[in-house]
Amino acid sequence: MHIHAYEKLWLAASVLLILFLLGSVTYGAVGPGVAMVSDSEPAIDAGALDEDDRFSEPRVEQVGENEYAAYVVARQFGFQPDPIVVPANSTVTFYVTSADVIHGFEVAGTNANTMVVPGEVSEITVETDGPAEYGIVCNEYCGAAHHAMEGKLEVVSQSAYEERASGGDGE
Amino acid sequence: MSEAIEGDRTFADKFPEEARVVRAALLGSFLALTLGAVFGIIQTLHRTGVFRGLISSTDYYTSLTAHGVFLALSFTTFFLVGLFTWAVVRSLDRPVIDIRITWTWYGLMAAGMTMTGISILAGFVNELDMSADVLFTFYAPLQAHPMFYAGLAVFIVGSWIAGADYFRTWLAWKRENPDERIPLQTFMVLTTMAMWYIASSAVAASVLIFLLPWSLGLIDQVNPTLTRTLFWFFGHPVVYFWLMPAYLLWYTVLPKIAGGRLFSDPLARVVFVLFLLLSTPVGIHHQYLDPGIAEGFKFISMTNTMFLLLPSLLTAFTVVASVEYGARQRGGTGLLGWLTDLPWRDPAFTGMMLAGLMFAAGGFSGMVNAGMNINYMIHNTIWVPGHFHLTVGTAVALTFMAATYWLWPQITNKPIYSRAIGLVQVVVWFVGMALMSNAMHAQGILGVPRRTAEPEYSGFDYPTMFGGFEELNIQIAIGGTLLFVSTVLFIGNLVLTMGNPKISGLAEELPPALSGPDDAPRVLDNLRLWVGIAVTLVVLAYALPLAAIINRGGLLGPGVGTFPVWLTPVLDALANGAAAVVGGVVDASASLAEVVG
Amino acid sequence: MGRNETAHASAEDVGGETEEFDPIGTLTLIAIYFAILVVSWVYIYYIEFLGRDLVIVG
Ligand code: HEM
Ligand SMILES: [Cu+2]
Ligand SMILES: [Cu+2]
Repeated sequence: MHIHAYEKLWLAASVLLILFLLGSVTYGAVGPGVAMVSDSEPAIDAGALDEDDRFSEPRVEQVGENEYAAYVVARQFGFQPDPIVVPANSTVTFYVTSADVIHGFEVAGTNANTMVVPGEVSEITVETDGPAEYGIVCNEYCGAAHHAMEGKLEVVSQSAYEERASGGDGE
Repeated sequence: MSEAIEGDRTFADKFPEEARVVRAALLGSFLALTLGAVFGIIQTLHRTGVFRGLISSTDYYTSLTAHGVFLALSFTTFFLVGLFTWAVVRSLDRPVIDIRITWTWYGLMAAGMTMTGISILAGFVNELDMSADVLFTFYAPLQAHPMFYAGLAVFIVGSWIAGADYFRTWLAWKRENPDERIPLQTFMVLTTMAMWYIASSAVAASVLIFLLPWSLGLIDQVNPTLTRTLFWFFGHPVVYFWLMPAYLLWYTVLPKIAGGRLFSDPLARVVFVLFLLLSTPVGIHHQYLDPGIAEGFKFISMTNTMFLLLPSLLTAFTVVASVEYGARQRGGTGLLGWLTDLPWRDPAFTGMMLAGLMFAAGGFSGMVNAGMNINYMIHNTIWVPGHFHLTVGTAVALTFMAATYWLWPQITNKPIYSRAIGLVQVVVWFVGMALMSNAMHAQGILGVPRRTAEPEYSGFDYPTMFGGFEELNIQIAIGGTLLFVSTVLFIGNLVLTMGNPKISGLAEELPPALSGPDDAPRVLDNLRLWVGIAVTLVVLAYALPLAAIINRGGLLGPGVGTFPVWLTPVLDALANGAAAVVGGVVDASASLAEVVG
Repeated sequence: MGRNETAHASAEDVGGETEEFDPIGTLTLIAIYFAILVVSWVYIYYIEFLGRDLVIVG
């Protein structure tokens, strides 16, 4: 089969490009340590979230030294808790599930983004920097008022967080 | 025209029966394009906040479902079956086996799409207890009216019969020409349809085993991850199903219009074989951010996806080289000076070239989509529609429109009403898409979600980069408007063309390739072998993920409800009724209290 | 139109030309495209994506 020399050159360049792309993604995974949402959490009964100790009461909880867990429920058409308040400079793991249909959970303008599927729990861990406020949007169509489905993520200073937590104002 | 010598006879002269089917298919396709463009402009103006007076934000999703289904499924597929019928019959130079079978698949596809279309459009009519606002991906547990799924099933079955029609026609030709290589266009059609059988089997299974019985109430619930995975098993290869007919045109028609010939027939075959092999075992890349699927499966899918770039990168070279050859035949010189020696006044040429240029840009955003972890940045943002309006919305759609300027005269014997309008049309599409798609990509990076009637929120503002949210909205609205204008020009031109008288002398020949099929190893034509490997790859890529999904959630899902969008009007009516009763009681007791007081 | 491609494409028909045509313009264009792809990718992956808030690390 006759292939022109230039085309062979291009073929080689293309393969290099592909390897470069794969290499970048692999670097992202092992260097900065970007991990994918996966099957780390067992399946769950979406119809019985109110009997589940994590999701019957959606909340943020301290689970280790400077480590927090946020148990979030997405349902037509909102997120609980709202706002989600977490301390600055900490490690936060979101466990997000749906009580009804498929939703999205996207902290707008950041890399925190996952599908939310009924019967599954999406687990994503992030490290927060300084205090900041972010919007949360549902980025998967979930029904007639999908566009109204939003929430808030507030990253507050450690002291403000403790104040709010001990103040017990129902976060 | 009957006196015309062989080479001067158009397709319509030689194969009038088939030409009628091709015309019918193309007209069906353009009807879908028209409807889709109307919804396209409505939703563009709505989501950008420029004009929200025409539909409510709830009906936005009816419009979006219609836009997605009519354009992505109906416009593309009807054009494709028409084009393929032309390509098979033309390149084999023999009629289809039995024209009644050809009309049968056309009828089935039309009937199926009509059913689905009615179930969607009924969503605009509140009095009708029917709706399918589930978008063209129909993710369970959102549930459409049963007719939506039934129509899809009929449509797909129709497309299968079309594939069988092409295969049987080819087999008949093969008996007549035992030692010949498969002509290139037929080869492209057959590999595409083989890929389609593999791909569409999954969505057909999803619809027939799960979604249709569920919407009819025969089963209580489905596993949302399973039906979603079966959708994407089909949903990625379907983008190649749209693209491969465009490639067929770029490989076999564009070089001719440029005044040259295809650079390499063997490489074209290799490219189509690669598509057949690699299009399907990649669908999980649409589920990078899905819970319940192991990271390893996602990584494998990414690797396959990245190698699927190869056939497209090769195509870029081969097609441009063929065009360069044409330019040099026309006297073009210099390193890049030959670019000025091309027939830029020909809408068919310019349209396809601009489509190819947009595809190159879409190639970049596609690489980003494919890069597993970078998907966090853009998943389900408006970046994604930005991407596929470059690929299917331009590389495919604009190529189809441009090719129509070349093909239509040959299946009707009528010259195009105005080639000048055609030229304006393709350029306007390009400019409109450049604006709309670019701004969509930029908004996506800001985090603006797709599929959202009012993407501005009460609780926060988007960050500002590459221009703010509002400014980008204006760009999207202007771009969308230009696209709509372009569609109107296209359809208008075509309608006026139909009024033209028939003339002779419109026949076009397609020249053979520079490096012809004799340079291609025989094994390339061994379709059985390639289909076998393709199926093996699919099994390797999907057996474990599907088993894991079923193992986790069960065939029918882990305790998931049913959320019929099509019962909402009934529920609303009930609620209104209840409110009226309650209101009445309240009023009555109030007046009672007054009386008593 | 009509007669299928295979019937045409005998070696004599196209033969010698194949070796003579060097698509140098195409090679140039595609090299430019390659450069754009690499630069854009480096920007979007290493600067835009990895530079954003809330990188998922687990
Ligand atoms: C008149 C030209 C067009 C305009 C103005 C237009 C506009 C749009 C807009 C603004 C969206 C995004 C809506 C959202 O996510 O909220 C969209 C989605 C979409 N468009 Fe287009 N478009 C046009 C042509 C096309 C063409 C030619 C195709 C394909 C052949 C196409 C296929 C799609 C698909 C598949 C979606 C996604 C639907 C979904 O998310 O369910 N569009 N279009
Ligand atoms: Cu939503
Ligand atoms: Cu895909």
